[in-house]
Amino acid sequence: MTSRRWVRALRAALASVALGAWIFPYAWMVVTSFKTLPEIMSRPTAPFARHLDFGAYREVFAAMPVGRYTAVTAVMALAIAFAQIALALPAGYALAKLRFVGRRTAFGVVLACLLVPAQATFVPVFLMFAKVRLVNTMAALVLPFAASALGTFLVRQALLAVPDEIVEAARMDGASEWTIVYRIVAPMVRPTLVSLFLVSFVFHYSDYFWPLVMTTDDSVRTLPLGVALLREQGTGVRWNIVMAGNVVLSAPVLALFAAVQRHLLRGTR
Amino acid sequence: MIARRALLRASAALALAGCAPRSRAVREDGRVVVTFWYAYGDLVRKVMLDLVSRFNASQSRVLVRAVHQGDYFEALAKLRTALAAGAAPTLSHVVLEVVPYLARAGVLEALDGYDDARAIPFVPALGQRGSFSGADNEPLVAIPFNRSTPIVFANARVLEEEGVDVPRTWEELADAARRLTRRTAGGDVRWGFEVPISWWYWVAMVGQAGGRIVEPDGRITLGADAGVEAIRFWQRLAMDRVMRPPPGRDYQAWQSSNESFLQGRIAMMWSSTAYVRYLEDNATFPVVAAPLPRHVRASVPTGGTMFVVLRAAPDEEKLAAWEFVRWMCDAGQTIAWSTRTGYMPVTLPAVERLGPWYARHPNDRVAYDQLAHATPWPWSPELFRIDRDIVEPRLEDAVLGGRDARELLREALAEARRPA
Amino acid sequence: MTPRAPWHPWAMLGPTLGLLAVFFLVPIGVAAYESLFSWDMLTPPRFVGAANYVAIAAHGELFHIALRTTGFSAIVVAGTMTLGLGLALIVDRPGRFFAWVRASVFSAYVVSWVAVALLWMWMLDGNGGIVGRALHGSPLGDLRWALPALAVVAVWKLTGYAMIVFLAGLQSIPPSLYEAAALDGVGMWGRLRHVTLPLLAPTAAFVATTSLVTSFQAFDVVRIMTQGGPARATELFVYAIYEQVFLDLSVGRASALTVVFFVLLLALATVQLRAWRAREGEGR
Repeated sequence: MTSRRWVRALRAALASVALGAWIFPYAWMVVTSFKTLPEIMSRPTAPFARHLDFGAYREVFAAMPVGRYTAVTAVMALAIAFAQIALALPAGYALAKLRFVGRRTAFGVVLACLLVPAQATFVPVFLMFAKVRLVNTMAALVLPFAASALGTFLVRQALLAVPDEIVEAARMDGASEWTIVYRIVAPMVRPTLVSLFLVSFVFHYSDYFWPLVMTTDDSVRTLPLGVALLREQGTGVRWNIVMAGNVVLSAPVLALFAAVQRHLLRGTR
Repeated sequence: MIARRALLRASAALALAGCAPRSRAVREDGRVVVTFWYAYGDLVRKVMLDLVSRFNASQSRVLVRAVHQGDYFEALAKLRTALAAGAAPTLSHVVLEVVPYLARAGVLEALDGYDDARAIPFVPALGQRGSFSGADNEPLVAIPFNRSTPIVFANARVLEEEGVDVPRTWEELADAARRLTRRTAGGDVRWGFEVPISWWYWVAMVGQAGGRIVEPDGRITLGADAGVEAIRFWQRLAMDRVMRPPPGRDYQAWQSSNESFLQGRIAMMWSSTAYVRYLEDNATFPVVAAPLPRHVRASVPTGGTMFVVLRAAPDEEKLAAWEFVRWMCDAGQTIAWSTRTGYMPVTLPAVERLGPWYARHPNDRVAYDQLAHATPWPWSPELFRIDRDIVEPRLEDAVLGGRDARELLREALAEARRPA
Repeated sequence: MTPRAPWHPWAMLGPTLGLLAVFFLVPIGVAAYESLFSWDMLTPPRFVGAANYVAIAAHGELFHIALRTTGFSAIVVAGTMTLGLGLALIVDRPGRFFAWVRASVFSAYVVSWVAVALLWMWMLDGNGGIVGRALHGSPLGDLRWALPALAVVAVWKLTGYAMIVFLAGLQSIPPSLYEAAALDGVGMWGRLRHVTLPLLAPTAAFVATTSLVTSFQAFDVVRIMTQGGPARATELFVYAIYEQVFLDLSVGRASALTVVFFVLLLALATVQLRAWRAREGEGR
């Protein structure tokens, strides 16, 4: 039918527009990163760089210790993600599987914390860390996120679906609670754990706000902060360098995303 | 699975072991390490880092580790929070307006007793004593580093084409701006004049209109009538559409002006002498620098930053920091600094040696000559708050939003008089 | 099940509850306490009672901050909802091409706010930016357009998430409903109006409230792109708090703002929870 074809054409056209609107900025970012500054000033809208100039990338690596910042950021994000899983499992298990006095209150506390974002707590937490002289340390970056209210909640939900019989059987086999939580029940909620890990890792890897508040110099500076500092004030923003920094910042995350997106963005019927 | 997690958490814990504040100097290879937080970008940063590595290479007692912290205000914010959190560096540099506040808070080391501190032949208007009024009895806590005054930059080719001279008074400026503004049919504009809507330039104009921000007896007046007149002058230029306020906050606005100037979109601008080298090197037309116009009188504030040593640092580090600061004040270094940027040399001998250079680079000496009309800052601990909290945000309101200047300043005064 | 030992549940919950309490619950109390003092972190604090609240309410400052943040959120929510739904309807097709479209739209959601903010700053730059030149100047310097510009950037980043949620919602609509409608002679647009949209309502409510809460907490775009300017036009709530404490060193005022912000968030979050429960109820 003609109307079907018309609709299909319209759909394809709109989808292409969307593709353009979301891909073009990245492409432009990459193109800019390969230009030289005079090129940008004189022909800012040129669609391609005259040659692939790596000068901007060299500057980025000269202006900041990319390797160190990346390592710090990765360690921080990994520590947070691991800690969150390690803590959410027993907590979720207790809330889902065990009956004890105070369970509802404990669950209530978890839910209450869902309502409190980091943007509301950063001033007091900063003051607290300042008092114990832990500002500008890994502790300040990791500890506040080691426990995740959302993670605990999701793990609890997932564990509710695990049949009690499995736990009972394990108990009868003489397994310790520790073993039950981490060895027996954990694999059964692997999808939840994996997505929790990934989301947490990516979020905290890319986090700008918390490290900005909690660090004062570059000893535990994270990569997003370092890249943001590239827009140096004074004599003129060198956009090719800023974009090169941007590429360095985004490439790993985009690569990771490309690797797992097939599982995340399941297709349609 | 568990073992791996445990291992990771253990190493995280090790990293978490954080840092306690140092009571003993940090040493590396037997040298005392001085952490120096600095706040420049781009060209100036390169000169800075070059000088630091020269110093490190020239002796083996001190190692200066320079850490970049963003622009002046970001760096200052980090410095203050670091001070509060016990994580401050040994050496940094700050804008003049905040020196009295930091001094009163007791976080700056008094340098009077350090070697040669009182003997360095600073240019009078640039040293602590000359830069501030009412500070004669204060201990020496700030050493001039990169010092500047606002100056006019003009596109000599455009001025010649239009037959306009560099203006010397406010009225000449308004007239020149009008004659230099050109609009094309396509909607592009070459603006006659541009200036970042910022405290520094406003203070200059208040002085030129005959007023003072703070009276000698300590009363805050924000220039009274002169303050209002300054704002109204800007508003008039903006309304006549011959002046464009550059977009962006703080130094983003300054660099936006620089870029527009280099691209020929503005004919004249007020900026800092710090950009003389940068603009000359990157312009495709001859650049002319000139002193700011006068009104009732000629007046400019000084700007840039001063070195400060933080009191909380270990004694050895403070001594080491002083060694670096003193080295930076030597003629060789201050000349290198000034000729490669546009900032003024801070000692009299250096100025003398620059005679031939100035003859070849007349733009460089504009700021120095203007020092004859430099107005010192009041030594008031409230000065920085007045600058950043109270006046600066309102200036944009006035020029961009067209609010009444007198009402605005009255509001500002009320807030300034309230305790913090 | 009964725990094997009475202390087991508390050992399991202890670290989590402890950390959550210390870093999420206690801080709110600390903020309320600090809001009664005037403190610049360098000199001793001074008790001032409600003066900080009066100060932030003076000259309509608090009102304007709230208004701006709400306006910003409104644009972001409207934008992400319409674009998210529209895109979900468009790309809900099999095939590599549509998979690419989905992935690229969602990828903006995955990268850092720093990356997105810097990228758009460049594109909007008045001197060299592709969009900025077309607009004859960066909107970020314009009093009226700075906040909408930031909102557009936020929409660009967040639409991917809305799209994904709507896609999941679309895929949970049983095809039999469409078939039944088609058999009744309902055309494509009719099916959209009478089957799809009504069944997506709880999903839409979920997306709306999530976007609302997220955009209410916006900080990174402001900090990187405009620093609250020009003339405070883009000073959103979290940025105002940040500025008070880190740039103005006014802990008391920052704490007062935090308390107000938290109360507003509570109100928003209650709406969100209700929408979430409705969605759960309808079934995914």
